[in-house]
Amino acid sequence: MSGRGLRSPASAATSLLVPLVLVALTAVIGATGTPSFEGTVTLVLCNLVVVLGLQVFIGNSGVYSFGQLGFAASGAYVAALLTMPAIFTVLQTPDLPKLIADAQLGPLLSTVIAAVASGLLAAVVGWPLMRTSTLAIPISTFAFLIVVYNVLANWDPVTGGSSGLVSIPTTTGVGSAAIWAGIAVVVALAFKWSAGGYRLQATREDEVAARSLGIGLMRERLVAFTISGVLCGVGGALAVHQSGTLSPKTFYFAASVTAITMLVVGGARSVFGAVVGTLAVATVNELLRNFEEGASVLGLVSVGETPGLAAIGLGLILLATMVLLPEGLSGGREASEIGPVRRRLRPPALPTSTADGAGDRPRPRAGSAASLRAEGIALAFSGLQVLRGVELELAPGEALGLIGPNGAGKTTLVNVFSGFQAPDSGSVLLDRVDATGWSPARLARAGLGRTFQAGLPFAGLSVMESVAVGAMGVGVGRRRAVEVAAEVLERLGLGEQAQSPAGLQPPGSQRLLGIARALATGPRYLLLDEPAAGLNDEECRELVPILRGVIADFGCGILLIEHDMNVVMDLCSRVQVLDDGETVVVGSPEEVQAHPAVVEAYLGTSYAAGAHA
Amino acid sequence: MTDLAQSLIDALALGGLYALIAIGVTLIYTVMGMMNFAQGEFIMLPAYALYVLAGLPFAIAVAAALATGIAIAVLAERVAFRPVRNADLSAQLVTSLAVATILQNLVSASVDARAQSVAAPELVSESSQVGALSIPNLEILTLALTAVILGGLGWLLYRTRTGLEMRAAAENFEMARLLGVRANRVVAIAFAISGALAATVGVLIVMQTGQVSPTMGLTPVLVGFIAVVIGGFGRISGAVVGGLVLGALSSLLGTYLPDGLIPFRDAIVFSLPVAILIVRPHGLLGAAAGEARI
Repeated sequence: MSGRGLRSPASAATSLLVPLVLVALTAVIGATGTPSFEGTVTLVLCNLVVVLGLQVFIGNSGVYSFGQLGFAASGAYVAALLTMPAIFTVLQTPDLPKLIADAQLGPLLSTVIAAVASGLLAAVVGWPLMRTSTLAIPISTFAFLIVVYNVLANWDPVTGGSSGLVSIPTTTGVGSAAIWAGIAVVVALAFKWSAGGYRLQATREDEVAARSLGIGLMRERLVAFTISGVLCGVGGALAVHQSGTLSPKTFYFAASVTAITMLVVGGARSVFGAVVGTLAVATVNELLRNFEEGASVLGLVSVGETPGLAAIGLGLILLATMVLLPEGLSGGREASEIGPVRRRLRPPALPTSTADGAGDRPRPRAGSAASLRAEGIALAFSGLQVLRGVELELAPGEALGLIGPNGAGKTTLVNVFSGFQAPDSGSVLLDRVDATGWSPARLARAGLGRTFQAGLPFAGLSVMESVAVGAMGVGVGRRRAVEVAAEVLERLGLGEQAQSPAGLQPPGSQRLLGIARALATGPRYLLLDEPAAGLNDEECRELVPILRGVIADFGCGILLIEHDMNVVMDLCSRVQVLDDGETVVVGSPEEVQAHPAVVEAYLGTSYAAGAHA
Repeated sequence: MTDLAQSLIDALALGGLYALIAIGVTLIYTVMGMMNFAQGEFIMLPAYALYVLAGLPFAIAVAAALATGIAIAVLAERVAFRPVRNADLSAQLVTSLAVATILQNLVSASVDARAQSVAAPELVSESSQVGALSIPNLEILTLALTAVILGGLGWLLYRTRTGLEMRAAAENFEMARLLGVRANRVVAIAFAISGALAATVGVLIVMQTGQVSPTMGLTPVLVGFIAVVIGGFGRISGAVVGGLVLGALSSLLGTYLPDGLIPFRDAIVFSLPVAILIVRPHGLLGAAAGEARI
C-alpha cells in the first residue's frame, strides 16, 4: 500500500460499499416479507439514519451526547405537522401557525425541511452546549433531551401535548427509508474522511495534542453536532411517516438508550460499526419483543406477557459489550480495515541528514528580526514559584538548548510559550506581536509547533492520518495536507509505516511521529520537550542529524529541552540553563560547559572533567 | 413577608433533597471517576420496597428500603462497574446507563410499567405551625435529615480511617492503592453510602408524591448530575451548593412563574445551569475539571 494518501481508492470503496450493500440487503429482505415485517424493517432503516447521526458526533468526538434523540423528535414533529391535512391539525394543534397548519407537503420536501430545522436547532443548542467541558457535555445534552420532552409534552396547542399526534400520513416505504439510510452512510463517511472529521477525531484521540496543532475543540464539535442533528432530524421525519403516530415519548429516554446501544454494540468509531450494530441489535430486539407478547420456546416453555423484556435484553447486551468488547463488533474499524491485526512494524533505518556539514551547529539566520521571545515570565502554582522572570529568545533557523535539573521549570516555560499555561506576569512575543494569553490553537496557527514529553499519539489514527491532521489543524485543505504529511514523513524516514496505526509504533518512531505531526503545521518555531527520552543510544545519535535536517529543510527555529547532553551539545548553537525558575547562564555550549555554576550544580564535576579532557 | 419566608423554606427543603441526590452522585464520581446513571434506580428500587411492604409498619418498610438501596448499589458495583473501573469516562457512563435500563425494566416486567400509589404515614403529610408559618412536616424531616447526613458524612470523611482512605483514593486512586488503601473496600463503601443516600431520597420522594414508577429516578438523577456539574465536579461542598441552587431555583420558579409557564418549569430549571457552565465551565466552586476532591 502506498504511503501517499490517507487510504487507497480500493480501501475507500470497500468501506463505502459494504455498508451500502448491507442497507440494500436489509431493504430487499424487508420488501419480500409480510407487510408488518416490511414495516418493521422500514423502522429499523429509519433508526439506522438516527444511529448514523449519533456516529457522526459521538464516534468522531468520543464524547457521548444523550440529546441527539431530541433532534429526531424535532424532525418528527416538524415533518408531521407539515404533512398532516388541515382538518386534522385544527383538532389536534389549534394554536399552530396557519401557514404550517394548512401546509400539506409531500414526503420529500417535509423531510428536507425537518432536516434543516433540526440542523438549525442543533447549531443553536450546540453553540452553548459545546462550550461546556468534555465531562459536562453528556449531562448538558441529557438535560436538553428532558427539556425537549417537557416542552413537547406541555405545549398542547402546538404539539398536541402528552397524548401526541395521530392521523399522520404514512408515506415512508422500505425503499425510501433505504435510500435515506444510504445517503446517511455516505454523509457519515464523507464527514469522517473530511478535514473537519479528522480534526475532530484528533481531539477524540488526545485533546491536548489536538489543540497544539491549531485545532479548535468547540468549533469542530459544533460542526459535527449540527450534522448529527440534521441526520437525526431526517431519521425522525422518516420514522413518523412510517408509524403514523407520534408522542413526546417516541424519541425520549428509551429510544436514546436503544440508539446508543446500537452504536456501541457495533463500535462507535466506525460507520460500518453503526450499520452492523443497528442491524444486530434490531434483530435481537425483535426476537425479544415477540417474547414480550407471550410465546413458547420450542413448544416446551411458555412465557407469559412480559413488558420490558426487550429493554432488559438491550441493557444486558449493552452491559456485556462494555465489559467484554468495548470497541464493539467492528472493533471501531471500517469494512476495509477488518482482517488480521496489522503487524507491528520494525523501526526503520533512520535517514542521514541532507544538511551540509554534518558537524555544524545551526545558527540564527543573519539579519532576521523575527523571533520567539519570552519577557520576564513569572508563574507560581499555589504559592510555589516555578518561573521567576525568565527571558528567552529563539530565532528561526537556530537550535537553542534549554537544560536544567528536574523541576527547573523547562516544561512549564514551553507550556507558557504554547498557550497551555498563562503566566502570572511577563509576555510572550511572536515575531514582535504580543501573543500572551493566546489559545494553543491560535499560537499553532501563528507558527508555533510543539511536542510533548509523554508523546500523546493519536493512537486510533494511522501514522499518515496523525501527521496530515497536523496540517489540517492549521487550516490546510485535505488534499494539500496529505501532500505535506507525505513529504514530512518521507523526510523523517517514517514513509514506510504511513498506513500503520500511530499507537503501535515503537518508541523511536513515536518520538519522530510527534515531531512530524508538529512539523506538518508548518511551524516557524518548534518546541521539542525531551525528544530523545526513551530512545536507545543508536537512535539518540541519529536524532541530531535528523533535527539538523529539519532546521535546514523547514527553516524553523528549535527550542530543545533534553537531558541527553550529547544531543544538546551537538545540535545547539546556544544553550540556556534554567534552575529553580531562573536563568543561570546563556551561551555557546562551550561557555555553558565551562560555567562554574553549571559545572558544580548541574553537569557535575565528572562530566566537566570529561568534557575538558 | 410570611409568603416569602414560606417559599424560602420550601426552597431550602427541595434544595436539601437535591443536595442529598448530588452527594450520592459525587461520592461515586470521586472514588472511581464515574458519573452514575443508575443512581436514579438506586432511588427507585428502595421506593418500590415501600410499595411492596405497604402493609408492614412504616419503620420496618423504611429499614427495608435502606437495605435495598445499599444492597443494589454494592451489587451493581461488584457485577457491572468493577470490570470497567479503569475504562474512560464515556465507557463508564454507558455502562451505568445499561445498568439503569436493566433495573428500570426489571421493575416494569415484575411489577408494572405504570405508576403505583403508596400511602404515606399521616404524620409526614401534616404540617406544623411555627409562628405564622405552616411548615409541612415532610419539609422539616427533609431539612433535618440533610443536616444530620451532612454532619455524619463530614465526620466519616474527616474523622475516620475509612474517610481518610476515601479522600486519598479520590486524590489519586493508584497512589492510594500503592500506599495500602484497600481499593475494593473503599469503592464498595462509597457505593454503600451512596445507595443509602439514594434510598433516603427515594423514601422522601414517595412520601411527597405518594407514588412509585419505574422511571421515577430519571429526573432525580439528572438533577443530581446538573447539581454536580454546576457545583464543580467531585466536591461534596460543590454538590451541596449545586443541589441547593437547583432546588431553590425549581421551588421559587414553581411559586413565582406565571401560570402559563408553570408546565415548563423543568425546561427552565434544566436550561439555566447551562448558562452557568458557559460563564464558568468548571462550575461554581470548581477547579479544573477532572480533579476530584472531597
